[in-house]
Amino acid sequence: MYDKTVRRRRAVLVLLVVLSLILLSAYFGEASSGGLHSVQRGFLTVVSPIQDGANKALKPVRDLFGWFGDTLHAKSQLSELRKQNDKLRKEVVADRANEHGYHELVGLLRLDQLKLDSYRPVTATVVGKSPNIWYSTVWIDKGTSSGVQKNDPVVNAEGLVGKVAQAASDGAVVDLITDSEVGVSARINGTGATGVVQPKVGEPNDLVLQYLPANTQANRGEYIVTSGTVASPDDSLYPPGILIGQVSSVDEESAYKSVNVHPLADLHNLDIVQVLTHTLSSKPGRLTSLQSGFSSGSQTGAGGGESSQLASTGAGG
Amino acid sequence: MTLSGSLVARIAVLVVVVVLVQTGVISEVPVFGVVVDLSPLVVAFVGLLCGSTLGAATGFALGLLVDLALVQTLGVTSLIFTLIGYWSGRLRELRDPQATLTPLLVGAAASALATVGYSLMEFLLGVDAPVSLELLRQIALGVVVNTIVALPIWAFVRRSLEPSLPDDPRRRRRRAYTTGGLSPLSRA
Repeated sequence: MYDKTVRRRRAVLVLLVVLSLILLSAYFGEASSGGLHSVQRGFLTVVSPIQDGANKALKPVRDLFGWFGDTLHAKSQLSELRKQNDKLRKEVVADRANEHGYHELVGLLRLDQLKLDSYRPVTATVVGKSPNIWYSTVWIDKGTSSGVQKNDPVVNAEGLVGKVAQAASDGAVVDLITDSEVGVSARINGTGATGVVQPKVGEPNDLVLQYLPANTQANRGEYIVTSGTVASPDDSLYPPGILIGQVSSVDEESAYKSVNVHPLADLHNLDIVQVLTHTLSSKPGRLTSLQSGFSSGSQTGAGGGESSQLASTGAGG
Repeated sequence: MTLSGSLVARIAVLVVVVVLVQTGVISEVPVFGVVVDLSPLVVAFVGLLCGSTLGAATGFALGLLVDLALVQTLGVTSLIFTLIGYWSGRLRELRDPQATLTPLLVGAAASALATVGYSLMEFLLGVDAPVSLELLRQIALGVVVNTIVALPIWAFVRRSLEPSLPDDPRRRRRRAYTTGGLSPLSRA
């Protein structure tokens, strides 16, 4: 009797471990259109409405906890923000003058630029978030039925949040900019030097702007914005000029010039976000088709190396 | 541990509620910059109450649900939680610890196992994240914060499953002494 119990217990353990390993190997080995990924998307479709309901029902509890943290955080930021406000006010006055001249020049050159208003923003509520430090993902309540597609950029009032990783009919999973899967082509707003923003290795809440030209000058507090180009053929096409973060320090020691960036969007307290969707006939849609054309071309070996940075959106940095 | 339908149903409801509350509320309220992770605590406490087989099965189911819900690599969390559930169940079967602080220690160990196990799996799967002081700080803080909430979570899990658990003779004896019904002193 005892032997039978022991055998059964061990058999259950072995079975579950083997099942986990089979799932892991199969999931890791298959493409994103594979069976297990489809099951995951199906699960997302089923659970999204429940999660949405639970999120709304439990919002008061979350807000109560959030209120304490927010109050402490706000007090510590007050004096710094006042200084920043004064600086920005001066910058806005200077920028208004520059903007007028810039639009005149763009008109003269007849440049067809991609702008934020080329997109159709879909407002979504964040209904879930990954609890572990290895995945920076959130779950939103809008999906393909609202026009949300894979790789669509996601923003909030503070700046860039991430991109859509998976979309089901009534929900989607968003990879935050601090996720290891995400890389954003970006530039330093003051100097115009471009690089790629990626999560800082080993520090899950910070970013680093890499591959900058060696002579790049960057100062602490400068803003980093999207450049409007793609860093790799499968990347998301972020519109130019979206705020990503502020330079927190400059790394002089690495082989490539890089600067550490603190994200502007409060990625721990996301509530409402906007997904920048587009139609196939719109300019972002056409550029995305062009980009995927280059991507498939690169897979067949036809000029693949040139495909990155080709889908430029005329950021004019 | 005798497997009853009512116990399995209670565990299933507990697993679903934990995943919904974790992703919908708890994950959005950072404490000291880290997020409380209820899942390893719940798996460990189910193992501690119901034994190794149910602990491992709960760990597998909860892990699978977490991986499905958060669009993570399927199987990673299931594997880690299966081992946590089995380990805590074996702890009950071999030692049957009765100290008040047992859930606290088991919770801390389960959280540490989950975080370290997850980190190891991610390294094996090729995620580019070398060990840094900040990462170690986050892991340590996560374990501390989970340990702080371990006792209330233990009380919740025990209260949720207790009506369907087979009556433990020792518990019955303790209850009897408390109420005075079977106490030798009361008979005297």
